[in-house]
Amino acid sequence: MNTKNLRRLTATATLLCITALAAVRVHGAGIDAANRLAGERVAVGTCANCHGWQGHSIQPKFPVLAGQQANYLLAQLHAFKSQTRGDPDALGYMWGMAAPLDESMMAALADYYSRQTPWAGERGDPRLIAHGEQIYQQGDAAQGIPPCAACHGPKAAGTSMYPSLAGQHVQYLIKQLRSFQNNLRDVAIMHGVAQGLKLPDMLAVSAYLQSLGP
Amino acid sequence: MREVRWLRTTALFSSLLLTVTLAPTAYAVPSFARQTGLACEACHTVFPELNHFGRLFKANGYTLDNLKQVRDIDTRKQQLLSLSTLPPLAAMIQVSETWLNQSLPQGTGLPARSQSSTVGFPQQLSLFYAGKVAPHVGAMIQLTYENDSAAIGIDNTDLRYANLLLLPNDHGLVYGLSVNNNPTVQDLWNTTPAWGYPYAASNAGVSSLAATQIDGTLAQQVAGLSAYALWNESLYAEMGVYHSAQQGVTNPITGAAGPLDGTASNVIEGAAPYARLAYEYQWGRHDLEVGAYGAQFKLFPGGGTTAAPATLTLPTNQFDDIAEDLQYQFLGEDHIVTLAATHIHETMHLDASFASGASANPSNQLNTTRITGTYYFRRKYGATLSHFATTGSADPGLYPAGSAPGVITSADGSPDTSGWIAEVNYLPWLNTKLSLQYTHYDQFNGGTLNYDGLGRDAAANDTTYLLLWLTF
Repeated sequence: MNTKNLRRLTATATLLCITALAAVRVHGAGIDAANRLAGERVAVGTCANCHGWQGHSIQPKFPVLAGQQANYLLAQLHAFKSQTRGDPDALGYMWGMAAPLDESMMAALADYYSRQTPWAGERGDPRLIAHGEQIYQQGDAAQGIPPCAACHGPKAAGTSMYPSLAGQHVQYLIKQLRSFQNNLRDVAIMHGVAQGLKLPDMLAVSAYLQSLGP
Repeated sequence: MREVRWLRTTALFSSLLLTVTLAPTAYAVPSFARQTGLACEACHTVFPELNHFGRLFKANGYTLDNLKQVRDIDTRKQQLLSLSTLPPLAAMIQVSETWLNQSLPQGTGLPARSQSSTVGFPQQLSLFYAGKVAPHVGAMIQLTYENDSAAIGIDNTDLRYANLLLLPNDHGLVYGLSVNNNPTVQDLWNTTPAWGYPYAASNAGVSSLAATQIDGTLAQQVAGLSAYALWNESLYAEMGVYHSAQQGVTNPITGAAGPLDGTASNVIEGAAPYARLAYEYQWGRHDLEVGAYGAQFKLFPGGGTTAAPATLTLPTNQFDDIAEDLQYQFLGEDHIVTLAATHIHETMHLDASFASGASANPSNQLNTTRITGTYYFRRKYGATLSHFATTGSADPGLYPAGSAPGVITSADGSPDTSGWIAEVNYLPWLNTKLSLQYTHYDQFNGGTLNYDGLGRDAAANDTTYLLLWLTF
């Protein structure tokens, strides 16, 4: 793939991301004190059982939620509730968990986790991380992989449109990339991006992302 | 006198043996999955072993409910009712075949022998109500038909109230109450007796004579009330009391369900205290628990008959049970490893039995150790190796030599029994399990060779057990 095609893919990716997420914006200021307390109670009493204290998940099977973008969290909760996100752990866990959540609770949970402070990243193999950084920041034109930073930001902190990836568990990230590849998680843009990623590259990018702090 | 002593001993230990033999094994309950919308793997490594989330679900009183609710509120918006539109019902069936290494002598002592294999169809069939009852109240109620009794009876039952106290800095304290019918059935870890390994076992083998009281001996014959708290998903403390609540026992005068008198066996004097302390630590895919639990039971031997009347008056036999447990779980995507161990130490002060001549010693010790390692690949293929050992004071009164046909007797009065269980499992689906289990005894009722003095060796009681276990 030449540079022109790569640029086109990046532009298309950006457009699709905007289209997908534009409809779901969360304004934390719009959540009243009662809803905020109700959200905190559910987060501490239920979500924390897997996602850890204040969203700092310990088990790599479950994603870190601390500091995640509220829009992304809300979009995922909707996807779980409507059973449109189809990766294995979504079916096994989150379809059930999201089923009884109403709009105000979903907004309160998204707000709660977006307000939590992310932890410092977890260091790993420096060579692997350097390779991952290269792919993340600059992509791999030969493989048709655009730079991830184009959407997720140079520090992988995400934006109101795209999820934060910084500090996320390697195991979780790899499972998501594979789910995008085989369309278990049906997101067109990520399907295209992840298609050319081989396992060693996934490991490298994931190790880099896990190493990033706030 | 000797005959009375024999009768009392027989009454005491036949009832113990019966309860040990009939002690239920542990199950997983699909109605929880129906209620929560979560697959089995959310709460279990492989059923019935719980993972961290499963322990939290239980501590929270089985109340997490993602079904549509029938609701009612008052004018102050207080909830009056929150009832699932579908009842949390489930069923379980175990179909098994057991091959005993050496068949049994005919009960009359004639040289004829039994068959060596037994088909259990069903070995057990259970119906569960397991799930939320009200916003903070849940229940796990099990009714079981068993082929040995050919009767339906109450099995493990745990009624709970649980709530969450939100602490500063987003920490949580789960607190609650449990009313249950089997000490440790309310526990959260698979190290304690009620939910410990083996999760399923043959009921067509030969049971050894000795078991500590907390080790299933009183299952379904007691009612317990305990209060517990779980701080920050890690530190667990519980205290409670148990009182006799015997099933199938009536007052001989009125024929009513009570009050119990001297014809009943092993009746608890007053309330028996129970305590549990455990700490769980998680890091990465690892989960480690260390804990201790114990109880003190003062039992009236009872078991009186017209020939040998008994009363529920002092003295009692006092059993002090103190146990430690340890559990390690590794939960990978493909690989799951569990190591579980418990050691139960029991001190018996047999004031009643020694006075009546039912025991040879005024006090005894009894120790049980179990160490189990399990591996599963993709929750589909599993293997378990477990070592068990019970050792204690020799007491020809408690563990009598008896006469022909032997088998469930001890030539030297020793309770020592030890051996190994090896098991392989295949789960084509998460709620269906096919198991092949082999149990080998190094020692049985105190001996390796000729343990009953009538020529039977410990290894004669080895069993091969094939099980089809469906929960749905």
